[in-house]
Amino acid sequence: MKWFPSFGFQRRKRELQEEIDAHLQMAIADRVARGETAETARQAAAREFGNIPLVQDVTRDMWGQAWLEQLGRDVRYALRQLRKSPGFTITATAMLAVAICANSTVFSWIDGTMLRPIPGARDTGDLVSLQRGERNFSPTPPLSYLDYRDLREQNHTFAGILAYHNDWIALTGGAQPERVYIANVSANYFDVLGIKPVLGRFFLSDEESLAIPNVVLGYSLWKTRYAKDPAIVGKSIEVARHPVTVIGVAPEGFVGAAPGLRDDLWVTLDPLGTDVWRMTHRDSDWLIVIGRLRPGVSRGQAAQDLDTVMHHIVVAYPDQHLGDNRITLDPMWRSPFGANGYMAATLPILLAFAGVVLLLTSANVATLTLVRFVSRRRELAIRQSLGANRIQLVRQMMLEGAVLSIVAGVVALVLTSWTSKTFAWFFPANSIPLALNGTMDHRVVIGIAVFSLLAGMLCGALPAWRSSHAPALEVLKAESASISGGSRNRKLLNGLVVAQIALSLPLLICSGLFLQTLRNLAAANPGFEQDHVLTASVGLNIAGYSNDEAQLIRHKILDRTSALPGVEVASLTDWIPMTLIQKRNDAYPEGYVPHPHESLLVENAEVGPRYFESLHIPILEGREFTLNDDEKAPRVLVVDQTAARRFWPGQDPLGKGLKVWGRLFTVVGVARNSTHTFVNESPEPMVYMSYFQHPGYETMVQVRTAGNPVDLEPVMENTIHEIDTRLPVFDVRPMRESTQMASTFAVIQSTLAGMFALIGLVLAITGIYGVVSYRTQMRTHEIGVRMALGASRVDVLRLVLLQGLWLTGIGLALGLAFALGLTRIIVRLLYGIGANDPITVVSVVMLLGAMSLAACYLPAHRAMRRNPVTAIREL
Amino acid sequence: MNEKDQYKNRIELLQGTLDMLILQTLQWGPQHGYGIVQALRLRSGDVLQVETGSLYPALHRLERQSWVQSEWKQSESKQKARYYRITAKGKKQLASDLGRWERIVEAIGSVMYVKPEESES
Repeated sequence: MKWFPSFGFQRRKRELQEEIDAHLQMAIADRVARGETAETARQAAAREFGNIPLVQDVTRDMWGQAWLEQLGRDVRYALRQLRKSPGFTITATAMLAVAICANSTVFSWIDGTMLRPIPGARDTGDLVSLQRGERNFSPTPPLSYLDYRDLREQNHTFAGILAYHNDWIALTGGAQPERVYIANVSANYFDVLGIKPVLGRFFLSDEESLAIPNVVLGYSLWKTRYAKDPAIVGKSIEVARHPVTVIGVAPEGFVGAAPGLRDDLWVTLDPLGTDVWRMTHRDSDWLIVIGRLRPGVSRGQAAQDLDTVMHHIVVAYPDQHLGDNRITLDPMWRSPFGANGYMAATLPILLAFAGVVLLLTSANVATLTLVRFVSRRRELAIRQSLGANRIQLVRQMMLEGAVLSIVAGVVALVLTSWTSKTFAWFFPANSIPLALNGTMDHRVVIGIAVFSLLAGMLCGALPAWRSSHAPALEVLKAESASISGGSRNRKLLNGLVVAQIALSLPLLICSGLFLQTLRNLAAANPGFEQDHVLTASVGLNIAGYSNDEAQLIRHKILDRTSALPGVEVASLTDWIPMTLIQKRNDAYPEGYVPHPHESLLVENAEVGPRYFESLHIPILEGREFTLNDDEKAPRVLVVDQTAARRFWPGQDPLGKGLKVWGRLFTVVGVARNSTHTFVNESPEPMVYMSYFQHPGYETMVQVRTAGNPVDLEPVMENTIHEIDTRLPVFDVRPMRESTQMASTFAVIQSTLAGMFALIGLVLAITGIYGVVSYRTQMRTHEIGVRMALGASRVDVLRLVLLQGLWLTGIGLALGLAFALGLTRIIVRLLYGIGANDPITVVSVVMLLGAMSLAACYLPAHRAMRRNPVTAIREL
Repeated sequence: MNEKDQYKNRIELLQGTLDMLILQTLQWGPQHGYGIVQALRLRSGDVLQVETGSLYPALHRLERQSWVQSEWKQSESKQKARYYRITAKGKKQLASDLGRWERIVEAIGSVMYVKPEESES
C-alpha cells in the first residue's frame, strides 16, 4: 500500500518480525544449552511458537492501523479478481458509466439552469420572482414603476426588491452597429443580487428615476467590444446613437437576473428621460420584479404581505388596476420569467427517467456479478474454511462493486464534462439571447459520486448479501452436485431479470408516447402556412431613429421587398408565432364591467397590410388591414375567433369596440384561429392591431416566396441595407426554422427518453439472455439425461423457453403497473395521444416480449442441438 | 472492525489475567517476550503456558495503552531483543487488576466453599 502514509507501519512490521526472530533464537539457544541438537531445537522452538504469520497478524491488529492495511489488501485482491475477467469488468464498467453519465448529464443541465438561476448572485435560494394576476406559464411583466416603488417601500418581509426590463438595443458608434440585449434596472438591482463590480461602480439610489445616461457593461461585452480596456470607466460610448457614460463593469459570469437569458449591459430605468410616460403611469406594466426575502420569512408570508400592499394600491387607483391583481411568488428555479419555467417542466422528469436507467443497469450488473459469484463459490468457500470470516467476504464483494462503480464514475465524469455542454444543441436558431447550458461544477461531481455510490451499493451489496449466507461446507460439498446454483441464487437471479424487464417497459412506453407527441406536433396544422415564408428583423427600434424616419423606412422596406422577384406577398409584423415570445395586454370590451380579479389578458400583435394573406390565415368576417389604417385613421382591430366568442358570444363582432391601453378600437375583421406559441396550447384570445397605426416595437419583414425562402436571404438583406446601410438586419431565416423553437422541449423529451429507452431495452434483453443461457448451461447435464431418457428436442426447447417466458411475463405485468404510474407524470407533456394509449402499450409489450423470446430462443436452440452423450459427460 | 471485536471476545477471559501476569512479571525488571514466557512458566511451576499468539498481541496492546514501554537492547547472550518495561501508569493498572482479581477469587471462593447449612439459613 504505497499510497498510504505507511512508512511507520512498514518499520513496525519489520520490528515485529525481528522481535519474533529474537524470541525463536533465544528459545533455540536455551534448548541447545540443555543438550538438544541444533536441528531438533529449531523444530521444537518453531512448534512451540505456533503459527508465525497468524501471531503477526493478530499482533498487528493491536496497532489500530490494521484496517488500512486490510483495505489495501482487499482493494488489491478486488483489482486482481476484476483483471482476471476483463470481459465482465469492461462490460460492467461501460454499462455503469453510461447509466451514471445519463444521470449526471441531465443533472448538469438542471444544475446549469434551475440550480444556478442567476450566476454570480448571492444566496439565490432567498430570491423570489413576482407574478401578478392569473398565474401563467409565460407571463408578461407584472408591475408599473409606481406600483413597484410602493411595494418596495411598504413591505415588511423583504430585504430588498429589484425591478428590471429587457430589450434589444444597438451599440452604435463603432464601424458596425452591434445588437445587444440591454436591461433597464432599478438602482438597487446589483445590491439585491449581491454583485460587486470588477471596475468602477454600480447605480446609486438617487440615480434611479433621473435621466442620467450611465451604463454598466457586462464582462463579456467589455472583453469583446472594448478589449478589456482598464480605463473604460468614465469613457463615453454610443447606445442607439445616444452618448452614455460607462460607470462600471459587472463581474465575469454575471449575465443578469432573467434565468437563461444573457444581458450585455445595464442602464437605469429611464436613462435618457424619454420614457417619462411609463415612469409616471400606473397602467403601464413593464417591470419584472425579484425580491430577496428577509431571513426567516417564508414565501407564503411574503406573498401575503405584498398582497396587502397591492390591495391598498388597487383601492387607491382602481381604474389602473382592473382585472386580477393577486400576487404570487415563485422560487427562482421555476421562475416563469426567463427559461426556468420550461426547464422545471421538463428536466426533473428526464432525471427521473435517468434514475430508472441507473436502477436497471445496477440490476443488470448485479446479475452479472451474481453469475460470476456462483462460479466463484469454490474460491469463496475455500477462503472461508481457511479462516476468512463472512464479514471479510462480504467486504470483498462490496469492494469489487465499489471498484467497478468508482471506475465507472470517473469515466462518467470525463464524459459528462463534454455531454453537459450538449444542452445548447437542442435550441434552434432563434431571436432570444439564450444563455442555457449544463455546468460541470462541484454539485455535479458530488452528484456523480452519489450516483456511483448508489450503483456500487446496488450491484455489489446484493451478491455480497447473498454470499454471506452461503455456508462454506455445504458449498464445497454441493459443488459437484449443483445443477443450477441453488434455489436461493435462482430466486435472486429471477428477481433481477424480472426487475429489468419491469423497469424497461415504462421507459419504452414513455419514449413511444413522446415520439408520437413529436410526430403529432410536426403534423399538426398551426392554422397558418409557414412553408415558403421568409422573415427578417430590422433594428429600427434599437438604432435610434425618430418615429417619422422609422415610418418612412418601413414603407420603403415594404415597397422594395414586395417588388423583389420571387416574392409573392410582403408584410410587416412585430411578432412571429411559435417562437416562445408573446405580448399580452388587458382588453376591455366596450361597456363591459369585469368581475373583481377577472383576468382580461389578451395576446396581441401589430401586423401590417396583407399579413394574413402572407400566412394564408383566412379572414372569416370583415377585412384585413390596409395601408390606410394609419395614425390618422380611426383605430381598428382584427380579432381571432377565440376573442370574438369570448367578448361577444352569439353576436356579430364587426363594429364592436374594445378598449386597450385605455383607447377604444373598433373591430373590422375576424381572423381564423391560429397557433400562438404551442400547438397544444389552450387558445387565448388574440387581438391584432394595424402596424402603421400603432407601430410595433420590433420591425420584422415577412414575405411569402415562390421558391425556397433560403434562396432569398441575401437579396432580402441587401435590399434593406440599400435603404440605409446603418440599419441592423438580423435573424433572417425561413419561418419554418423559427417556429421550431415551439417544439424544442418536445424534441429534448423524445430524444432523451428515446435514448434512455434504447439503453433500457438493450439491458433488459441482454439481462434475460444472460440469465437464461447461464441457467441452461448449468443444466446441460440434466438436459442430456432427459434426452437420453427419451425427451424430444421440442421438449427441451419448451423447457428452456418456458423458463424465460415466465420471467418475461411477470416482468411485463409488473412493468405495466409501473408504467401506469410513470405515464401519469408526463401526461401534461403529451399531444394528440393519451397517457395510456392502448396501441403504444400493446406494441411496446409485443416488442419487449418478442425480443425476450428471441433472447431465450438462442440458448434454448443451443441446448436442443446438443449431443446428449457429450452433454451428460459435461459437468 | 467487527472482526477485531470477535477476537477480543475470544480472549476476554484470559485478557485481564494475562495483562496482570505480564505486568507483574515486569515488576521484577524489564524483560523481553521470551523472557516473560519463561518467567511465567518457572514461577507457576510449569502450570501456566502462555501462548505466543496471546502474548505478543497483549504486549503490543499494553504498549499502546502506555502501561509498558519497549526498547531494543542486547541480552546477556548477545542477542538483540525488544525489552518491555512497566510504566507508572502500568503500575497503577497492576494494582487495580490485582484488587479486582482478589475480589473475584474471594467471591468465587465464598461460592465454592460455602457450607450447605449456612446457605439455607
